[in-house]
Amino acid sequence: MRTWRRSAEPYLFIMPSLVLKLIFGVYPILWALRFMFYDYKGYGEPVFSGLANFERLMRDKLFWESVLNTFVYAGGKLLFTIPLALVLAVILNGKLRGRQLLRGVYFMPTVVSTAVMSVVFYIIFNSYNGLLNQVLKMTTVISEPLDWLGTDLAMFTAILVAAWGAIGNNMLLFLAGLQGIPKDVLESAEIDGANSWQRFRYITVPMLGPVLQIIMMLAIITALKGYESIMVLTGGGPAGKTEVMYLYMYKLLFPVSTGESIPQDIGYGSAVGFASAIIVGLITAAYFYYSKKTSRIY
Amino acid sequence: MKTKKLSAVLAVSTALTLILGACSGKGEQSQSPSSSAPAASPGETAKASDKPAEKTKIIYWTAGRHDADYVKSAIDKFNASNPDNIEVEMTIMAENFAQSLDLAFASNQAPDVFSATDVIDHSKKGYLEPLNNYLTPEIKTQFGDRAFIEGYNMVDGNIYSLPNSGSTLRLVYNAEAFEKAGIASPPKSLAEMVDAAKKITEVGKKDGLYGFALPYKNPASALGRSAVPIAELSGVPGQGYDFKTGKFDFAGYKPVIDAFKEMKDNGSTLPGSESLDIDPLRAQFAEGKIGMYLSYSSEPGVYKNQFPIKIKWDAALPPTIDGTYKGIVNQGVGASRWLALSSKSANKEAAWKFMSYMYSEEVLIGYQENGLGILSVPSVAQKANKPDIAGIENFLPGEYDGMWPAAPQGFSPEGKTWQEEFMKYILVGGDFDSIAQDLNTRYNAALDKEKAAGTIKAEPMPDFDPIKLQGAAQ
Repeated sequence: MRTWRRSAEPYLFIMPSLVLKLIFGVYPILWALRFMFYDYKGYGEPVFSGLANFERLMRDKLFWESVLNTFVYAGGKLLFTIPLALVLAVILNGKLRGRQLLRGVYFMPTVVSTAVMSVVFYIIFNSYNGLLNQVLKMTTVISEPLDWLGTDLAMFTAILVAAWGAIGNNMLLFLAGLQGIPKDVLESAEIDGANSWQRFRYITVPMLGPVLQIIMMLAIITALKGYESIMVLTGGGPAGKTEVMYLYMYKLLFPVSTGESIPQDIGYGSAVGFASAIIVGLITAAYFYYSKKTSRIY
Repeated sequence: MKTKKLSAVLAVSTALTLILGACSGKGEQSQSPSSSAPAASPGETAKASDKPAEKTKIIYWTAGRHDADYVKSAIDKFNASNPDNIEVEMTIMAENFAQSLDLAFASNQAPDVFSATDVIDHSKKGYLEPLNNYLTPEIKTQFGDRAFIEGYNMVDGNIYSLPNSGSTLRLVYNAEAFEKAGIASPPKSLAEMVDAAKKITEVGKKDGLYGFALPYKNPASALGRSAVPIAELSGVPGQGYDFKTGKFDFAGYKPVIDAFKEMKDNGSTLPGSESLDIDPLRAQFAEGKIGMYLSYSSEPGVYKNQFPIKIKWDAALPPTIDGTYKGIVNQGVGASRWLALSSKSANKEAAWKFMSYMYSEEVLIGYQENGLGILSVPSVAQKANKPDIAGIENFLPGEYDGMWPAAPQGFSPEGKTWQEEFMKYILVGGDFDSIAQDLNTRYNAALDKEKAAGTIKAEPMPDFDPIKLQGAAQ
């Protein structure tokens, strides 16, 4: 009896999350996996259409443009987020006064709703009466308002907003990694005459390897999947300039209003969702393969 | 080694969770065709719980916000006075109306009566109860002979909604800016519009006033209220569907879209229009920052209640391609739609009684006189006074307002819509002729597919001439 209890206990503990995962994680995937082979617009009987949705996917310019936009968005976001998060983590890992408060401040965006955050940024960035343009005009940096959400700058603005939301979380992960580095190694290096840059470059960064690998992987996946702030800021526009994969999928599956530019198509939306997940999975796997060296600590 | 293994396990499991998470989340929200779990309808629930009073509860969902106060007061009156003990509960679902309705029908919690926002889509989904059997010949006569048109409020002979009010479309202009720029009258042709926008920008730019604006954030909304009426008044079909040939042909849009592009390229369009919705645009117009834009007859109400306007403004017929009127502006003075009855309602008779009250003279007359819309029920419109609202005068229907036949609806061409393609051309550029050619190919392929499947009937009308539509709304 006791043995049974002992062996059943772990399963009982994971049961609640397992059940929820099956209902909210696995079932929808199976649902989508089925419908991607169907012609189903959300009404009437779904009609089996074989690979028709995938044939459409291959010739769908809008999807491939959204893939390209996703790469630009994710690449830009990583470029801003990772170095800044690392620098912040190193600074706030030192003996800085008020560092606890600053850690809280930098982490704050993580707990703010993405939609709320994006609305605030919309107010800041909109070109006709946005705060940023007003400040730039007042300080004579610009003479005419810059169209931060226009065709030329919308993606850059979306990246800035996304990076702002992500830096705090990555900083916290880096901080956890930094605190795992044994102090004696750093002290030995100091005694041996290494300056702070050398300690950072030759001890801190290599010893952060495994953590860095995980942080990068999480950041890549999150960046490739991100669409919420774009949805609020630009809705994928203007002229499709910020349409990313998951936003395109969302619009196909859940048109938010009648007369939506992209009509509801659950069958095709499921195929887009599947293809997007495969793209994210492949990039993640490739990153993991090529970053093997990062995880080694010599 | 251990660390490496641990990190690998962690990484793979995290990756899996996130990738799976990407596909999950809202999956439960969309309607399943097989969802048929029986559940009590709102009406049934109300019947059971309100037994002592024996009230019949009718749930009404509206997508309209601008008329909410008036409709609410009408409902309060109905609830207090109807002899059948019917109690109507109104919910404003202006945001995400379509999505909420889909969810409600999928989970058997649909309202009994709701705004007929998309008759084609909702009839295909089986949400709508045909009203043919409820409509006596007397009621039909009251609505007039132009009240029911296939594709507007009828599908395959089934009447799904009844008209109440319609909207007209006009060029809305800042009279002070026109005066300042020395422009005597609102533009009648596209060339005059482009010229006026340029002149206004030249005199007003230093104060942040630009000649023209549209809510380009939403291509369908922006072009639907501007390019479409301009094209239609010029005799070019607004949805790109050529009624004469029964085929799509978007080439006729070239001068209209080129004019918008010119105003964008020469700097006459308000900076930031690319990210503007209609409300922020109205706010800017009310502040005197925009010379002109095009919109619906709801504007006077908006400037009375929502954005108190600081400038002298007026409205005029939209310009046409060459200054001559070869068609009419298609709008809802005629076979418009308002309320629909749910096919799933457990209390259809009670719901119809409520709908009959909403379509009564008493409610409709008040609707127009309060400036909430222009009545499209001729027998009632004759008895109603003009809306009591500043600026409505030039929105009232005239010789060039009416109804085009309904273009084929309820099909999805692959790729971008015509509105998105034209928007991209306006903002980014490209070759208009090849864009139009590509649209024709995609739209006609989708139309042919539906015609072959028998879901859409689109026969050519060789004698169709939009100029003959003029004068019908008067």
